[in-house]
Amino acid sequence: MAVVLVVDDAQFMRLRLNKLLTEAGYEVVEAANGAEALEKYAQRPADVVLMDITMPQMDGLTALKELRQRFPDAKVVMCSALGQQSAVLEAIKSGAKDFIVKPFQPDRVLQAVAKLVN
Amino acid sequence: MKVEHIQPFVSAAAVVLREELNLEVERGELWVAETDYTTREVTVLIAITGQLEGTVLYGTDEAMAVNIVYELTGERKVIYDDTCESAIAELGNVISGRAAVLFETQGIQCSISPPSVIRGRGTIISTVNITRLVIPLKTRLGELDIAVALRENR
Repeated sequence: MAVVLVVDDAQFMRLRLNKLLTEAGYEVVEAANGAEALEKYAQRPADVVLMDITMPQMDGLTALKELRQRFPDAKVVMCSALGQQSAVLEAIKSGAKDFIVKPFQPDRVLQAVAKLVN
Repeated sequence: MKVEHIQPFVSAAAVVLREELNLEVERGELWVAETDYTTREVTVLIAITGQLEGTVLYGTDEAMAVNIVYELTGERKVIYDDTCESAIAELGNVISGRAAVLFETQGIQCSISPPSVIRGRGTIISTVNITRLVIPLKTRLGELDIAVALRENR
């Protein structure tokens, strides 16, 4: 079973994504900020990481850069309300495989995850 | 505070509520807040920085937050809890993010802070010297007031 690491400081978003992905047959691991995501990924590398940008302690872009530096094969999809061009460009330049702007359509999330898992 | 600065938030709210919750929005009349007191049970506060600076407040009632959680997860909360609070905060975050993208299309760059939530009516939130314009939005799940207090910083 493929593992998806959901990183978002909003408990509600983790709940929604967990439900969506679990029902689609994925195993979900959750983290509430970038630092926790790095810790959880190091313990158990996920097949795909869904990463928010604005988070306390360590934001998503910093976590993305560190994750890709430590684990170059990490597949990260940014999932954020910050859809400005600068944020999208920085994420892609930093190695994100995809960028989903919230509010997300469930199918869009599932497609992005499935594409990377396969 | 320019009236046109509220429009991206209203447009963003209409899109987000329709895409997320399949909600149609009925826009009420614009008014100027006479006091600094919160008038709803729950208020989400987001700071705006950049070429526009100030505050946007999303006021609603606990029942709407409970209804949103039910619509999006199928989980019926008996009372307003942490999940409801997180949901309403995220709604404010997503609307503000979408509004920031709309400002960007107008050549205005701004950033949004993470949301803070204030519980209870009658809390004073001062926007200092910036006039606060309010527009109420009615939906089948409840009402959402958007109060915007912004000034240009170019």
